[in-house]
Amino acid sequence: MRVDGLHSVFSESDDKSLLEHLESNNIEVHYHCREGYCGACRTKLNEGNVDYHIDPLAFIDDDEILPCCCKPTSDIDITLY
Amino acid sequence: MKYTTFNQESNDTMKEPMFFGSPVNVARYDQQKHPIFEKLIEKQISFFWRPEEVDVSKDRMDFQKLSDAERHIFTSNLKYQTLLDSVQGRSPNIAFLPIISIPELETWVETWSFFETIHSRSYTHILRNLFTDPSEIFDDIVVNEEIAKRATDISKYYDDLIFATQLWQTKGEGEHVVDGETHLITMRELKKKLYLCMNSVNALEAIRFYVSFACTFAFAERELMEGNSKIIRLIARDENIHLTSTQHVLNLWAKGKDDPEMAEIAAECHEEAKAIFLKAVQQEKEWAHYLFKNGSMLGLNEEILCQYVEYIANHRMAAIGMGQPFEIKSNPLPWMNNYLNSDNVQVAPQETEISSYLVGQIDSEVASDDFEAFEL
Repeated sequence: MRVDGLHSVFSESDDKSLLEHLESNNIEVHYHCREGYCGACRTKLNEGNVDYHIDPLAFIDDDEILPCCCKPTSDIDITLY
Repeated sequence: MKYTTFNQESNDTMKEPMFFGSPVNVARYDQQKHPIFEKLIEKQISFFWRPEEVDVSKDRMDFQKLSDAERHIFTSNLKYQTLLDSVQGRSPNIAFLPIISIPELETWVETWSFFETIHSRSYTHILRNLFTDPSEIFDDIVVNEEIAKRATDISKYYDDLIFATQLWQTKGEGEHVVDGETHLITMRELKKKLYLCMNSVNALEAIRFYVSFACTFAFAERELMEGNSKIIRLIARDENIHLTSTQHVLNLWAKGKDDPEMAEIAAECHEEAKAIFLKAVQQEKEWAHYLFKNGSMLGLNEEILCQYVEYIANHRMAAIGMGQPFEIKSNPLPWMNNYLNSDNVQVAPQETEISSYLVGQIDSEVASDDFEAFEL
């Protein structure tokens, strides 16, 4: 996983959401609801795929993701706002 | 075009725009042009709460312990929030319902407004507990200059749209003279008013509550006014979902996924819409200044609060394609997130003995061997 150009590792067996993973790596991400409806954690997905475990209700653009309710399913490259 | 409460002409709502199409007839949700609104309705209803569920009695003792400056901060914020929810409890209904043309959006607006009325009732719940007679507080909302300034900007876009819609629905398009003043009513003008109004509402939901929220949660960080803070957390959770809905409406328009004319208007009025948002940011900073005029409170001051407004404005302006106009990159009040996280808000109904929670909890699976022990 590449965040703002830096590398980080996400193991597949990990139960955490992408947001929790970023936090456990001390990467500051803005968040409010952590349930996909507020959009505070909106992040740009430059490359890769994610899977949602909660249906995201907040508005996100085609190239954006909500880290609070998804997990990567491939190597990903993201940019935090 | 005259409004009808039940449009007798068959229409395909899947082909209608969100606004200014044919009036809605059947409230049906089996087919949806924009399913997001139905999802928001379900989410919002799952958040249902009543002010009376929250015990605010300890707050009265805390309030006595606050300094005068802190009391000014606390009551002023409640006044401002009361104004905001007074407007939001009625205006989306009056302004948007007469011009909405798809049922899922119509019901979303009704659901949204209903929750704002819960917020309004919760302010009475809080104030009744703090003051023997809360009239003085409520009466000041209309007279207080600082609040009046904001009220004008909040209500004017609604009022403009409502008035133009009334003229259009009674007299149709054209130039109409009312009380000696000429008003030009065209569909384009109506849609522009709608666009600006939606932007003003979006800015309200996005930032207008947050100075007040920050103060409430700063008190809670000191273990003061915690009943109030619990209520405000529930309100903040609702406001976040309301904001999501206005962001969806604005983006559906701007991205040409609804009425193509609204996409043109979104491009044409982009700067004007941005100015509405920036004015709200400015007013919130002025509000912070007013709050701290008698002195600050522990853990918060005017400067850091203004930085927080800019920080949150950056995020929320970016969500509707307005970029991030402010320098600030990291959250100046990181502890705010803990109060806005829905995990910390959830009340588990089964633990608070709410009997209504059990409605519908019936095991509907019955196998034939379940009757084995029965004999006739």
